[in-house]
Amino acid sequence: MTSNMALSLRQLSRLLAFIGTVFIITTVLVPAPAPAEDNDALEQRVKAAFLYKFAGYIEWPQNLFSQPDTPITIAVMGDDPLAAELSQLVVGRTVNGRPVTVRKLRDIEPSAVVHILFVGRDDSARLGEVARALQPRPILIVTESEGALTQGSIINFLLVDGHVRFEIALDTAEKKGLKLSSRLLAVAQNVRTDTP
Amino acid sequence: MLERTRSIHRKLLLVVATTTVAALTVAGIAMEFYDLRTYQQSSVNDLITQADILGRASAPALSFDDPRAAQENLALLKARPSITAAAIYTAKGGLFASYLEDGGADPKFPSLPEADGSRIEGKELVVFKRIVENDEILGTVYLRARYQLFERFKDYLGILSVVMVASLLVAILLSARLNAAVTRPILAISEVARRVVESRDFSLRVAKTTEDEIGSLADGFNAMLTEIGRRAEILEASNRELEQAKDKLRELNAELEQRVANRTAQLEAANKELESFSYSVSHDLRAPVRAIAGFSRLLWEAHADQLDAEAQRKLGIIQSETQRMGDLIDDLLAFSRLGRKEMQRSDLDMQEMARSMYERLHAQHQGPQVEFRLGSLPHAQGDRVLLEQVWANLLSNALKFSAKREKPVIEVSAISDAKEHIYFVRDNGAGFDPQYQSKLFGVFQRLHRADEFAGTGVGLALVQRIVTRHGGRIWADSKPNEGATFYFTLPKEVPDGSH
Repeated sequence: MTSNMALSLRQLSRLLAFIGTVFIITTVLVPAPAPAEDNDALEQRVKAAFLYKFAGYIEWPQNLFSQPDTPITIAVMGDDPLAAELSQLVVGRTVNGRPVTVRKLRDIEPSAVVHILFVGRDDSARLGEVARALQPRPILIVTESEGALTQGSIINFLLVDGHVRFEIALDTAEKKGLKLSSRLLAVAQNVRTDTP
Repeated sequence: MLERTRSIHRKLLLVVATTTVAALTVAGIAMEFYDLRTYQQSSVNDLITQADILGRASAPALSFDDPRAAQENLALLKARPSITAAAIYTAKGGLFASYLEDGGADPKFPSLPEADGSRIEGKELVVFKRIVENDEILGTVYLRARYQLFERFKDYLGILSVVMVASLLVAILLSARLNAAVTRPILAISEVARRVVESRDFSLRVAKTTEDEIGSLADGFNAMLTEIGRRAEILEASNRELEQAKDKLRELNAELEQRVANRTAQLEAANKELESFSYSVSHDLRAPVRAIAGFSRLLWEAHADQLDAEAQRKLGIIQSETQRMGDLIDDLLAFSRLGRKEMQRSDLDMQEMARSMYERLHAQHQGPQVEFRLGSLPHAQGDRVLLEQVWANLLSNALKFSAKREKPVIEVSAISDAKEHIYFVRDNGAGFDPQYQSKLFGVFQRLHRADEFAGTGVGLALVQRIVTRHGGRIWADSKPNEGATFYFTLPKEVPDGSH
């Protein structure tokens, strides 16, 4: 009788713990998309996260970083909300031991230290100009407009079945002296090696 | 012989077989235990490594939210048929991609991933492995693989039994060969032992073929044979000596017996001669003594009135001394006749004999009233006339030496032991000094003066002679004035021959 009671109490406490865990996971860890936030905003958040994560799969030339903990700088052009999102995201995070800094760019600053440059849809018209200006420098140019790879972009976001995907221009990257991890290529929607 | 050989073979085989089985069993158990442990560890490690590789490969897929890529990664597990199911979960716990082997049963993927670890679920091994990059948990790999511990155990057991049977056979074959090397020297030793027993030839030796324990056994056996041989020789020699000594002793004995017989014959002859001499002397003396007695009586009857008192007294002395001389000669004759007469043996009622003899003597006796106590006397084998003589002499002595007592007491009784009857006559008379005991039974030996107690001094000598001829002994004990006891024995068994 006593042992049965003890057992049931233990089971009850386990059940409560399980319910609690599920509750926490469902409410805190997996917050449902806020109704106020539309699909575009969500898409930009995903892109911000991808931008940060790309850093882990790219190998820049050795001389680009003076110190082992020289930060990786991600510059954002033409999408301030994404830049803001990204700034929040990278706080306290490192990639291969390097901190990540985010800066907004209004114009081309040929001398600015930039490792990844995101050109938003709003600035897509300037892409060719930007790409040409930065052409010899090992900067990973990421875009979100169709056909951007032909204009000097290395990674271009796509939207496939409502999911954010990307395509890669591997030859462009090689020309700039950037090495892209094969693991990154594996998840790319499309890898091009013959961009004109 | 064969049975013994077999038994030693069998024992050695048993030892080998037991040792082999025991050693193989222990080694097998240890190896099996070790192998299963290694199997478990390597299985777990393999699966964890696999999960790690899978996790690292799938990290970009998770990072860039590409379930298709993860799915492709998982599909590669087809190359690992032991893996039955796999899944990748996102950091938030959602199922991101999954894999199930062809024809696999209900997947039953856990609804939530767990922390790093492995566990055994029935016949399957389950592993969870976090995917971490840049200190960030990207997701979790879940792997489920067949865990065939029991099958492996069974396989191993099968191999072990085959190995055990095979090595047992090899061990038995080998030991059968080696056995012969052990048993042959032992058989050789026992063969020599058998031959030694049969032929009593202690010069046989065992050939020593090995330097091991059996070799030392052979050495010991040979040393023992040498020792036994030596002992046997000594024993035989001393036996021979003993036999010779015995022969010599027998010769000496025969010689001695011959000498004794010769001496006895000489002695007997001398004795006879002496007896016949004393007989003829006594016999010849009787005639002149009778003449003296006769003529002195005639002198007294015819001329007593012509003789004065002094002459009469002297004639009286002549007469009494002549009488005494006649008595002495009679006793001497009786004594010497004893050796010449053949004994007539018969069963004698000693009690009746003693009683009638006492009555006869008592009738002639003068003196105070005598108390005569007669105990129970056993019958005896002997010569009636001679033993009557014994009773007559002893009883008359008792009457004579107790006659001066106020209340004379004479007791006659007997005791018996296993071999003989002891008769005795006791009186409370004058007794004698024990220091003269040796003279008591001599001829003409007297302990008292003739005027005190009459007698010739031949009586006890005669008694002793009679008792001795019957194979008995005679002795006496006494103290002066306290009476005397005379004992004589007669054997229960009649001795052969009579002297």
